[in-house]
Amino acid sequence: MAGPLAPQRTPDITVDEEYDLDRPWVTVVWNDPVNLMNYVTFVLQELFGYDDATATKLMLQVHHEGKAIVSSGPKERMEHDTSRLHAYGLWASYQRD
Amino acid sequence: MKPFRRKGADVVARLDPAEAGILGLLLDQLEQLLAAEEDDVGDDPVLARLFPDGHRGDPRLAADYRELTESSLRSGKADDLATVRATLPTDGGEVRLDPDQAGAWLRTTNDLRLALGTRLEITEDTEPPDDITDEADHQLAVYYWLTALQGSLVDALVAGRAGRT
Repeated sequence: MAGPLAPQRTPDITVDEEYDLDRPWVTVVWNDPVNLMNYVTFVLQELFGYDDATATKLMLQVHHEGKAIVSSGPKERMEHDTSRLHAYGLWASYQRD
Repeated sequence: MKPFRRKGADVVARLDPAEAGILGLLLDQLEQLLAAEEDDVGDDPVLARLFPDGHRGDPRLAADYRELTESSLRSGKADDLATVRATLPTDGGEVRLDPDQAGAWLRTTNDLRLALGTRLEITEDTEPPDDITDEADHQLAVYYWLTALQGSLVDALVAGRAGRT
């Protein structure tokens, strides 16, 4: 949100997404043909403490829609979450919401 | 193979000598892959799958992520691999794992499946081979054997978690 002291932006400036502080970051898990469904559910519970129903719902979303947002928050935490998912071989990345 | 099942706090499976031998060879191959130069990651589809980009679409963020995480990701995989090697009966027999060792087996068997699955270009429609007539059939059979092994390990660990609560 731009306060009174915020510099005026001219429309042709490309805002560097890294410094656009208003939008949160998210961690996304993408569908892949190798990871087992019960494995993905297990890992989401293990890493994020989701209950079985929540983890299963996210896993099915990955499976049917191709991706699901599994966590959101500051950039550094999303980097960390992505690396924890990579340690388990899930196909994950982080991005602006 | 006798698939993994829960025994108290441990999980237990039994491998035939031939199965233990194949798993040992796969561990050798994975170890060589993990020892590859960091610069090679972009060129090899298996390494690219084991060490994916952290950010899609922004090469600078992806490079930052790689610099931040890749060495610890590598050493974690190497530690897991060493644990699997230490608990694998080389001539076959019982595999008995405590929870930490089971975690290492879970991640390493998954890395092996990712590596094989990428090389074999597995899709969601791929089926186990009916007959084994060539090397590709053999590798596909190994892939599905690993799938059964890892699937049983997940089920045994889930059963243990249900028991804890």
